[in-house]
Amino acid sequence: MKNLYIVIAVLFIPWSFSLAKYDEFEDGDDIMEYDDNDFAEFEDVNEDAVTESPQRIITTEDDEEEATVELEGQDENQEDFDDTDTQEGDTESEPYDDEEFEGYEEKPDASHSKNKDPITIVNVPAHLQNSWESYYMEILMVTGLLAYIMNYIIGKNKNNRLAHAWFNTHRELLESNFALVGDDGTNKEATSTGKLNQENEHIYNLWCSGRVCCEGMLIQLKFLKRQDLLNVLARMMRPASDQVQIKVTMNDEDMDTYVFAVGTRKALVRLQKEMQDLSEFCSDKPKSGAKYGLPDSLAILSEMGEVTEGMMDAKMIHFLTHYADKIESVQFSDQFSGPKLMQEEGQLTKLPETKKTLLFTFNVPGSGNTSPKDMESLLPLMSMVIYSIDKAKKFRLNREGKQKADKNRARVEENFLKLTHVQRQEAAQSRREEKKRAEKERIMNEEDPEKQRRLEEAALRREQKKLEKKQMKMKQIKVKAM
Amino acid sequence: RSLLLHARYKPPATETNPALEDPTPDYMNLLGMVFSMCGLMLKLKWCAWIAVYCSFISFANSRSSEDTKQMMSSFMLSISAVVMSYLQNPQPMSPPW
Repeated sequence: MKNLYIVIAVLFIPWSFSLAKYDEFEDGDDIMEYDDNDFAEFEDVNEDAVTESPQRIITTEDDEEEATVELEGQDENQEDFDDTDTQEGDTESEPYDDEEFEGYEEKPDASHSKNKDPITIVNVPAHLQNSWESYYMEILMVTGLLAYIMNYIIGKNKNNRLAHAWFNTHRELLESNFALVGDDGTNKEATSTGKLNQENEHIYNLWCSGRVCCEGMLIQLKFLKRQDLLNVLARMMRPASDQVQIKVTMNDEDMDTYVFAVGTRKALVRLQKEMQDLSEFCSDKPKSGAKYGLPDSLAILSEMGEVTEGMMDAKMIHFLTHYADKIESVQFSDQFSGPKLMQEEGQLTKLPETKKTLLFTFNVPGSGNTSPKDMESLLPLMSMVIYSIDKAKKFRLNREGKQKADKNRARVEENFLKLTHVQRQEAAQSRREEKKRAEKERIMNEEDPEKQRRLEEAALRREQKKLEKKQMKMKQIKVKAM
Repeated sequence: RSLLLHARYKPPATETNPALEDPTPDYMNLLGMVFSMCGLMLKLKWCAWIAVYCSFISFANSRSSEDTKQMMSSFMLSISAVVMSYLQNPQPMSPPW
């Protein structure tokens, strides 16, 4: 099938070329010109010179354009014999499309004066000139394309260099902490590839696994789209920075139940709207972390005060204060399920799956103009990640905290069930009605009158039984209430 | 150290949640095809050139999961639109001003 497409494509282009060529040969006059003798060109000129003058007289009054065309044809024949193409076109008296002279304007007065003086040099239509200058728009377009391609190559290489610089800086730390560094999921056995997995020209992944307490860690280097010129130009208006996103998936037994986030105020506001868990469990607005000594740029979102107290120990505060400019957001959550899914009302039948996760988003310094050396400054942040993993494992809520947390989770689940309760009821109702209808149809379709009667009786009896059951239940409830 | 069963790499969730993906390459692909059809049907040279640009932009922004066949087909279509426009009308493009 692929080969067929290629063959068709290959045939199509020369066919179209040949079609176009045929247009030029439609008139019979042209064929006359291609005699073998050397003076074929001159023959036609002489003939046309004779035939054109009477035509000129007739047509000047009628159609000024045609008159100028005649003149040009004549002038060209006398001056430029090398260009047979122009000859073909110009020795025609009739089928001049207006299209061919679109970009060309000749003053109507000029034609009268030129009647008397046929050797005046006239403006030749642009495409008949043998110079490239007239094609300046095309040249501009091609230059633009070349610039785009150059930018693509340069941008791609820069991203590549940045990614490898990051990896070289962090490799040691990662290899000392994780048994499996680098995996693209294609090998049958779990062996370290020791390489970044390039997803895109601007996104690089690294999967690390094989450490106690965590299931695995996915690092995504989300660079700016340096390979796309449009993006580069857009970034000149609105600066942005490269980001490093780290997602640590914790084992179920290694993390207690809490939801906590810290980061820039803007980022937290956005996350609170977008993320399922933050919107459900952290209802307050992001609070300032000044109480713990955090700079003003950072804010805290937490499920309960106890979690914040537990998380903000000396070392964490140290990390956060020193590297505040590079931290975009840090999120610890046992109910992490990603961003809120946009689903229709009727489809939400069960809660999305949650996983215990630690999420970190760091901004690479330089705000776009990064060099490979800047990657070294991110190394302490990786240490913070490792520290956080251990901390999340160690931190346990006390009894009160645990009760509150459980209550919160139960509340969220209940809300969800309430929301879907109506839908589930409707679904059950419609199912019951379906069954009744199916039975009625069966009874109707039964041809034997005997059988019909029997089935009807059976249905009636079933209905009666149901009604009795309901009455019994109502009585029981009444008794209990009393 | 005992041999742990390492968790394997799974592609990130964007593949299961299409809302998270960047829609640029798809839009650019579609735009490129629309412009090249316009260029071919209406014999507009600038349409054809914009189609070529669109297909380049779509290629630069493409995801790894995108197959090259679609990129190539959009690119070929735009190139053929440019070629056809010039064969039908060899005059250079006139600027809009």
